[in-house]
Amino acid sequence: MTGLPILEIKNLRKSYGAVKAVNDVSIHINRGEIAGMIGPNGSGKSTFFDCSTGLAKPDTGTVKLDGQDITGWSLNRIAREGRMLRSFQKTVVFKSLDVEENLIIAGQMFTFPSLWSTFGLGRMSRQRVSGLRERARELIKMAGLWDVRHQPAGNLSGGQQKLIQFASMLMPDPKLILLDEPMAGINPKIIERVVETILYANKSLGVSFLVIEHNIDVVTSICQRVIVLDQGQKLVEGLPQDIIQDQRVREAYLGG
Amino acid sequence: MSLTETAQQIRRRDLRIPLGAILLVIALTAPFIGSRYVTHSLIIALIFMLPAHGLNLLVGYTGLLSLAQAAFFGIGAYTAGLLAVTYGTPFYVNVVAAGLAAGAIALPLGIPALRLRSTSFVMCTLGFVIIGQAIAKNWISVTRGDMGLSSIPKPHFALGPLSFTVSGTMGFYYLALAIGALATLAVWAIVRSPAGRNMIAIRENETLAESVGIPTWRYKLIVFMISAVFAGVGGSIYAHYLTVVSPLTFQMYYSTTMLIIVLGGGAGTISGVVFGSLLFVGLTEALRITPELRMIAYGLCLLALVFWFRQGFAPLINRFWNAIGGAK
Repeated sequence: MTGLPILEIKNLRKSYGAVKAVNDVSIHINRGEIAGMIGPNGSGKSTFFDCSTGLAKPDTGTVKLDGQDITGWSLNRIAREGRMLRSFQKTVVFKSLDVEENLIIAGQMFTFPSLWSTFGLGRMSRQRVSGLRERARELIKMAGLWDVRHQPAGNLSGGQQKLIQFASMLMPDPKLILLDEPMAGINPKIIERVVETILYANKSLGVSFLVIEHNIDVVTSICQRVIVLDQGQKLVEGLPQDIIQDQRVREAYLGG
Repeated sequence: MSLTETAQQIRRRDLRIPLGAILLVIALTAPFIGSRYVTHSLIIALIFMLPAHGLNLLVGYTGLLSLAQAAFFGIGAYTAGLLAVTYGTPFYVNVVAAGLAAGAIALPLGIPALRLRSTSFVMCTLGFVIIGQAIAKNWISVTRGDMGLSSIPKPHFALGPLSFTVSGTMGFYYLALAIGALATLAVWAIVRSPAGRNMIAIRENETLAESVGIPTWRYKLIVFMISAVFAGVGGSIYAHYLTVVSPLTFQMYYSTTMLIIVLGGGAGTISGVVFGSLLFVGLTEALRITPELRMIAYGLCLLALVFWFRQGFAPLINRFWNAIGGAK
């Protein structure tokens, strides 16, 4: 079943004024794969993410998720109907709500069949929420957040908030997760924990990943394939060990 | 040892049930305790609680600041007034029609307005009130302009052979109390539902809410409509209570009063809105006795609020409520 890629993006372009942030990039992510995306600052990685996940509209190009054309879909629809989820470079949580509520919210739209049904208070609705609470607790345990599960998410450390965000994305049984610099600004102990959870989600839950990451050690240890962007274009892609040896990649990073 | 334990147990006994019972008794016997004027003030407070509840869903739970409540309040008042005067429809039909009319009009207004960013949205909702007043003033063939609609009948109920008219202040108080209680219950149900959780998510971080699949725009539109329904129902009761409706029903002062109730009472809490409407409307109505000092006292209250209770009174009420419940 390796034939069809889970995500296929073709000829994506996005300009902001005269700046070509993403200039004709085509990539694909295979089913069950953890792919990495690296590139110097300003190489268009985040714009590429935004255009793929519906946060921004691409100028041209197509995005196909699991064979379905999702170009131009909104962020919430891509998440809800496509089960392709994304994180943000600057970690965000629902600050005043506790950890458990954060996760329940992350699962609600996938459990309730329609927007109207979320206004229900009946038995069906209560059952759905208690199911979500159970799943949330499992994931909270897995992420090592059990002791702080009733604390407002905003009171926790940056690393713990990253874990909340990560656990939230696993709530709806996602097909594909796009992570935007998951390791930025967190301590090594939490890095280990995030790496563990990515590998667990990949192996046990069958989630595919595309990870933007600057930490080259993490990229080489978890990614099966690395895509390098530079100045809005795809420079090269290949095995991690080949990429770090690649002369063009070194030049791009050194600005040579 | 056991003695101190008992002593503590006695001190820590849950006082919420007796206090709740006392409050309920006060609410039910208020017209007998206070003067007719106090009862009138309470009725106004209960009527304003409705649009304030609606506004709280919008401001307190979904994080959208709107000044349009007075517009929907006015639409409700005129709908009820016109129906009652022109067609002689009964009270309960007018209330439902007023709620539906306000909610229906909120749809075409909300679609463009909710596309705007925060401050532009506020300005846009302000515009709705001004437009509403202009229409009420100038569409004379329907609204009778500045003369307004008068002799709107008092609520009349007919159930089979039984029929009665709520005419006195006392009777109207119980009617307003019942409707206020129903509205509070309805808000409670909305907030407790999974949709209520999604609304809070939108308030906390809209982009994050989008990223977990919540169709934020559609939720905002629905909540905008629900808040208009509450305001419309409030307006219709206002019309039947005062028996007159004039273009002054569409006034900014009402929108700000509703906003003060929500923010002062405690945005995002139900108890805050209940308390806020009693305090702010009750206070202004009660202070009419001394017109010279009225606005000064009101202003001082607002200043105290801004300086000492930035979250409104709700945290204070909650702390007190938990304290008498024996919680640490």
